[in-house]
Amino acid sequence: MKSEILYPGAFPMVRVDLAAGEHIKAESGAMVACSPTIDIESKMEGGFLGALSRKFLTGEKFFFQTLRASRGPGEVLLAPTVPGEIVILELDGVSEYMVQKDGFLAGADAILIESKMQSLSRGLLGGEGFFILKISGKGMLVLNSFGAIHKIELKPDQEYIVDNSHLVAWSATTSYNIEKATSGWVSSFTSGEGFVCRFRGPGLVYIQSRNPGSFGAWIRQFIPVSE
Amino acid sequence: MQRVIPLPPYPGYPAMSPNALCFGDEFPAAGAPCIVQVEEHGLTVTFASDTADGQPESVPFSSLTVTAGGLDHDHLVVKWVNVQGERTLYLKNPDVIRAFRESVPDHLSLPFAQAAERVRQVRHRGRLVWGVVGGAILATVLGLWFGADLLVELAVSRIPVEWEHKLGESAYRDFLSHQEVMKDGPAVAALGEMTQRLTEQIPNNPYKFEVTVVKSDVVNAFALPGGYVVVFTGLMKKAESGEEVAGVLSHELNHVLQRHGLERIVKSLGLLTVVAIVLGDQQGLVGLMKQLGVELLTLKFGREQETEADLKGLQLLQRAKIDPSGMIRFFERLSEKDQGRMEWLSTHPMSTARAERLKAELAALPKKSPEPFTFDWKHVQASLGSQPVAAP
Ligand SMILES: [Zn+2]
Repeated sequence: MKSEILYPGAFPMVRVDLAAGEHIKAESGAMVACSPTIDIESKMEGGFLGALSRKFLTGEKFFFQTLRASRGPGEVLLAPTVPGEIVILELDGVSEYMVQKDGFLAGADAILIESKMQSLSRGLLGGEGFFILKISGKGMLVLNSFGAIHKIELKPDQEYIVDNSHLVAWSATTSYNIEKATSGWVSSFTSGEGFVCRFRGPGLVYIQSRNPGSFGAWIRQFIPVSE
Repeated sequence: MQRVIPLPPYPGYPAMSPNALCFGDEFPAAGAPCIVQVEEHGLTVTFASDTADGQPESVPFSSLTVTAGGLDHDHLVVKWVNVQGERTLYLKNPDVIRAFRESVPDHLSLPFAQAAERVRQVRHRGRLVWGVVGGAILATVLGLWFGADLLVELAVSRIPVEWEHKLGESAYRDFLSHQEVMKDGPAVAALGEMTQRLTEQIPNNPYKFEVTVVKSDVVNAFALPGGYVVVFTGLMKKAESGEEVAGVLSHELNHVLQRHGLERIVKSLGLLTVVAIVLGDQQGLVGLMKQLGVELLTLKFGREQETEADLKGLQLLQRAKIDPSGMIRFFERLSEKDQGRMEWLSTHPMSTARAERLKAELAALPKKSPEPFTFDWKHVQASLGSQPVAAP
């Protein structure tokens, strides 16, 4: 399995070359184009209940797609829905990442994806909802962001503060607390977002340079209100 | 040429795949994958890649400190200092943890036992959590069956009014402590009169409404669950009559009476909380909502709730003999494009249709002759330090 990011920047695609018999998992809807040797299967990761819980509790799509080179080698082109960067991580079998539900684009088949429930306060106050994806295993993991992806490297006990709606993925070796961003009431009142995550190392935190919620609000002002 | 480091043979340890991450100054921030083995006198750490120094490092138990760490405190964190500096190992592999625990010397056993207990607790909590999730899935299925709104209503109807009071009050006090509150004067008296005229007309009112005037140019007003209402002076300056302000007030009071805030909270907290409430975990909810204070203020109501507050608000005005056309006029002015930045609009999208609906509703109501307020609106506005609004 080989992968390459095409058109790096705001509107990238990933090309994954699959040897005969190899397969990858992708977010359903991520496939743009593929060789005729590739079969597309919808698969319920984690069984029916797992898929159901993902669907209703995270708003995640019911299925992941499995793209399988069943009739010989071939290539697959994948792209995210939103404009933004793509990064490819190579998981080593020990490292685990927590990924915000919109951040997952694709992964090698040996990658394990679990829906994980956050503690209630994290779920309530963090922007990512109650459920996030916990990704482990060995092989390629493809993440996508809204805007550019920025990697923050944290040494043991080093801290960093991130606005929760800018989170993409973070190592399971980090820990974080949710805190109120400002003491000014009117600012959180009018802008909506009032919370940040204080991360503590060691590990990596991937953040996105644009906030999907704020962007949505910005777009909304141009949409005429209709009854 | 790359140097290949042969891994030392360890009998009884067939799979030499990394089982831990090691952190330190010269390692990548993601951690270096390594193999940790537990021996009689300490740990042996071998790095999986040949980019590190290569030699397995033996660390005696006597130089280790052990804690629980990681996102869910489910990693065992082992620290020591060697010539290169501080090393931190993150271990999660149950086999290694068990082996470690069995051979750990006395001086480490206390912190180790504590750390292991944290790890165990987290796992246990995980099972509990999945129990709740199972319940949530069941409830989801039921919810789809009977309609999710019904489930929300059911949950909301189980929250007693006193809790709503406590909930709203803590957020309200917190909010006011950061604001310049107007304690007396014509504006406070005028709002008091409006509030009294309106609340007198609410049968079996379980809420003791508290309306506060806050000095701010923000053109807004909001209501918290339990009957706590804030009107900003900016809105009063913008209004052309007391009846216009009374219209907004009546709308906000009806958000409280219809428990829209609670419905919204329950909806945004998700089905999980709905399940918790239905199953009787109401105590936990109050705790969660206390933390949530800020969020209460940023709540946006749904369109149906807005319409309900509009219509019920109009009826309440009518009963209180306050001219309801003031409310309609205010909405109409808001729906005009050139209103600039008005915060009430950010939570109350205005459209001509909204005012039209109210006009139609008003036409259907029996005519009542309005009774004017005792205050002079121009006088009230002048006390706020604003120029009287010039007639167009
Ligand atoms: Zn409203």
